[in-house]
This record gives sequence, C-alpha cells and structure tokens, in this order.
Amino acid sequence: MSFKQIGRKLQLAREEKGMSQEQLARALGCSQSALSNYEKGKRRLYLSHLEKLSEILDKPLEYFMENNRPPVEKEHLLGGDRSDQFLHLINIIYQLSDEQIREVLSYIEYIKWKEKRGGQ
Amino acid sequence: MDFSLNTRQKELVEMVRELVNSEIKPYLVSSSASGFDWELIRQLAVHNLVCPTVPEEYGGRGLDRLTMALLMEEIAAAHPGVAAVIAATLHAVEPILLAGSNTQKEKFLPELTGKDAGLAAFALTEASGGSDLSIMRTCAVRKGQGFYLNGSKDYVINAPIASWIAVIGATSMEQKKASMRVFLLEQNSKGFSIVRQRETSGLDYAPIGEISFENVFIEEDNVIKGQKAGSGYLLLTQTFDRGRAMVGAISVGIARAALETALEFAENRVQFGTSIKNHQAVAFSLADMATRVEMARLMTYKACWLIDQGGDYCKASAMAKVVGSEIAQQVTCAAADILGARGYEKGSLIEQLVRDARVLSTIEGTNNIQRAVIASQL
Ligand SMILES: Cc1cc2nc3c(=O)[nH]c(=O)nc-3n(C[C@H](O)[C@H](O)[C@H](O)COP(=O)(O)OP(=O)(O)OC[C@H]3O[C@@H](n4cnc5c(N)ncnc54)[C@H](O)[C@@H]3O)c2cc1C
Repeated sequence: MSFKQIGRKLQLAREEKGMSQEQLARALGCSQSALSNYEKGKRRLYLSHLEKLSEILDKPLEYFMENNRPPVEKEHLLGGDRSDQFLHLINIIYQLSDEQIREVLSYIEYIKWKEKRGGQ
Repeated sequence: MDFSLNTRQKELVEMVRELVNSEIKPYLVSSSASGFDWELIRQLAVHNLVCPTVPEEYGGRGLDRLTMALLMEEIAAAHPGVAAVIAATLHAVEPILLAGSNTQKEKFLPELTGKDAGLAAFALTEASGGSDLSIMRTCAVRKGQGFYLNGSKDYVINAPIASWIAVIGATSMEQKKASMRVFLLEQNSKGFSIVRQRETSGLDYAPIGEISFENVFIEEDNVIKGQKAGSGYLLLTQTFDRGRAMVGAISVGIARAALETALEFAENRVQFGTSIKNHQAVAFSLADMATRVEMARLMTYKACWLIDQGGDYCKASAMAKVVGSEIAQQVTCAAADILGARGYEKGSLIEQLVRDARVLSTIEGTNNIQRAVIASQL
C-alpha cells in the first residue's frame, strides 16, 4: 500500500459518491490541484486528511489503507499487464451458467478467506 | 519574501548559543566526558529546552519548527550528540502532538519539560531492516482494554534512558501498514527490556540501544488513535516528513562548526610566509564550504516554514535532509583537509565532527529512501 494506491482509492470513493474534484476539495478545505495531487499520489495524505475524507466519503479509514487492489475499471481491464489472463478468464466465465458462476464466486471467496487466515 | 528573523527568535538564538558554548561545547571532545551524561541535558532543561515544541499548556515553550531549527543548529554546532538526543525526543512527541488525546498529552508531554525534564525515544527500526516496513515484525494483539506487544527494535536513540518510547507495531502481519499503530510504552513496563547498548562510531554521547518487548501490556489509553487501524502508518510518515527537516538543521550546525574551525585555523596558520587563507586554493575551499552551509540552511528553513504554514512539506523536508547530510559530510572532510595533520588527530574537534556527520545520511530514513520519496512526488 503506497500513497499512489491510497490516492487511487480516494478517487474511486469520490466517484462512487458522485462528487467532482472541486466539490471534494471544497469540503476538505484544500485547492483542487492539491486534491488532484492527492489522488495521483504526488502529495501525501496524512491522518487528519484521511479522517476528514473518511467522514465526507462514508468510508472507514481501513478502506484507504488496506492492501487490496482497487476494483478494475472497464477501460483498464484489457489494457493492463494481465490483460491476456483476464481475457482468458472472461471467456471461460462467459460459457458458464448462472449457477456455475455462483459456484466460482464462492470458491474465490474461500481462496480469499484462506489467504487471510494466517494473520490475526 | 522576508528572510529576517523576529526579535524573539534572535534573542533565543543568542541565549542558546551562549549557553551551549559555555556549558555544553567544552564536553564534546573532552576525554573525561565520553558517553551519555544527564548533566548536559540538565543545562538545557534549566531553560526548558529539552523538548521546546511541546505546547505551553503542557509545560513546554510551544516553539514552531523554524524557531526549533534555529536552536537545533546552535545545539548541533556545539555538540552533535546532544542534538541527536534532543532530536529523538522531538521525534517521539510528534505523533502525540499530531493526533494524541488530551489524556495522552497530559500524561506524556509534561515529562519532557521543565527543570527535571526526561527524554523520549522513537522506535521503528528492527534488526531485519529500517527501510522496508513490510518486513517489520513487532506485533500487537488486542486483548481486553489494550494490546499485548511482542517484538524488538534496534538502534533506537535514547532507548536505554527514555521515560517513554513511541513504538511502531502492527496488529496484522498480513496488512502491516493498514494495521500499524503508535504505542506509548513506559520505561518500567513489565516485559520490556534493554537487550544491549550499541557502540557507534559517531554521536558517542547518544545512548543507542536494542530493546525487546515480551507480552508487554499497553492499555488502550496509551495507544494513539487506538481504535483506528492504519493510523500508525499515516502518523509515522508525517512524523518522518516533519523530523527530516530537523536532520537538516543538525547538519547545518555540524557543517557550520567545521567551517568556523577551518576558517580560524586558516587565518592563523602560516605557510610560505603568509596565512594559508591567502592561498587561493584554501580560500576557495572555504568559500565553497560557506556556500554549502548557506544552501543547507536555506533548504532547512524552507522545509520548516512549509511545516509551520501547513503547506506541502514532504518533498522539501526530504530535500533538506539529503542536501544537509551530504553537505555536512563534504564540509567536515574539507575542514579536516585544511587542518592538515591536526584534522586527523584522535580527540580533535574536526575528527569528532567528521564521525558525527557520517551518520546523517543514514538516520531518519537513508538518503536513498529520501530520493525515492522525492521522486514519487515529481
Ligand atoms: C546512530 C543511529 C541512530 C539511529 N536512531 C534511530 C532511532 O532513534 N529510531 C529508529 O527507529 N531507528 C534509528 N536508527 C536506525 C536508522 O533509521 C536505520 O539504520 C535506517 O533507517 C536504515 O535502516 P537499516 O540500517 O536497516 O538499513 P537497510 O534498510 O537494510 O538499508 C541498507 C542499504 O540499502 C539501501 N536501500 C534499502 N532499500 C532501498 C531502496 N528501496 N532503494 C534504494 N536503496 C535502498 C539503504 O539506502 C541502505 O544504503 C538509527 C541508526 C543509527 C546508525
């Protein structure tokens, strides 16, 4: 988890809330260019900023801090380094029934649970 | 743009310069005074200068960063080891100043103020590494009204003598950064021990130690933002971003002391019928030293000014640390050259300053790490 990742999550949370950079900047009490730099990871977000952002965007602090990849956006899905893998997966899933897709999702949940079990 | 200092700043600098020159500097290279001695800290404590950034309501002087940097330059110019001990204390209080509760402020800050002021420490580095936080092992498990802390920290300034230590630990080894917190550990806590005192090649005065925690119980009231996982990482980065400017100030102090020593020597040393300062090569070396000291000073002031204004200080602070530490190393070595054989003599002022400057590119995040921070913001 880097400041770039925190910034990316901030952007996603802002978009989810339907706010523009200007609106969020005003609510946070900073300039729009500062907010843009926060989102790009070019300026560090400290605790007091993130506490305020958590409130404005209705997200817990952990949302910004946890080391999970932010959801992929449609336009990034096939443009990234793992696009071949993703395309292959999508093609397989495309052939499945709704029931089979539910089974695949529950297996994915199990894999994620197994991964988390190690720590406290 | 106004580069002038205000009357209060000028008077404070004057007072501290006089104090450290008469009461502290004589012990820098004195053979009878190696290693930590509370007496030098007491000299500062009499004037409430052990942790002057503590707000007045908690017993401190409530100094801003720029004024603190001015004083730090004076302390470092007189005795870099004492400056390191003070800087470590300033570093430890930063998370409390930034996000501590009133109860934490009332409990931990007054201990570092007044005539009987104690010292504090900031413990992040572990044997496995100081740069890479993802391999940190100090772990805390929540139980009842607090946390059980296990692990160890190394190379911690003041650890053996601190009244309390700000320890960085994580509650999940899987999501370390997202679960980090700042734990305020009291020296007499059960399960806390000093494993060894480290001998270092410079900053001989500063007590530096390896410490360990075995099921040390820390009540929630002594954990900064205890309810908020991840607060520790954000506080840690902000503390470093503010603290690095102070390494800049220590660097300026060390470099200035070396320059003053070299200048005085060059004026009095006669070779080829004239003072060596009249030889252009020596004069140019002194000119470069003075220029560099000023460069480091201005970058430190800018970083401190940005901190005081609540601006974007991360990059400026990292730059002040890189430039300051490298300049301190260059200037102390250049001064040693001007002093000839005397610059290589064990127990001489310059020899001490060269050794003290050496560590500045490592502490508070190595200069490579600073460059990574600066690059990430370009
Ligand atoms: C005198 C002294 C006082 C100290 N005081 C304290 C203290 O009070 N509290 C505390 O917590 N710690 C303290 N430290 C520890 C100090 O902060 C660490 O030594 C420092 O952060 C480097 O960690 P390390 O020694 O484990 O080196 P490592 O992290 O192992 O680094 C070794 C080398 O690899 C380089 N490196 C590592 N990662 C990268 C990268 N990604 N890119 C480029 N280069 C890299 C480093 O720059 C360095 O040159 C002190 C150290 C000393 C010597």
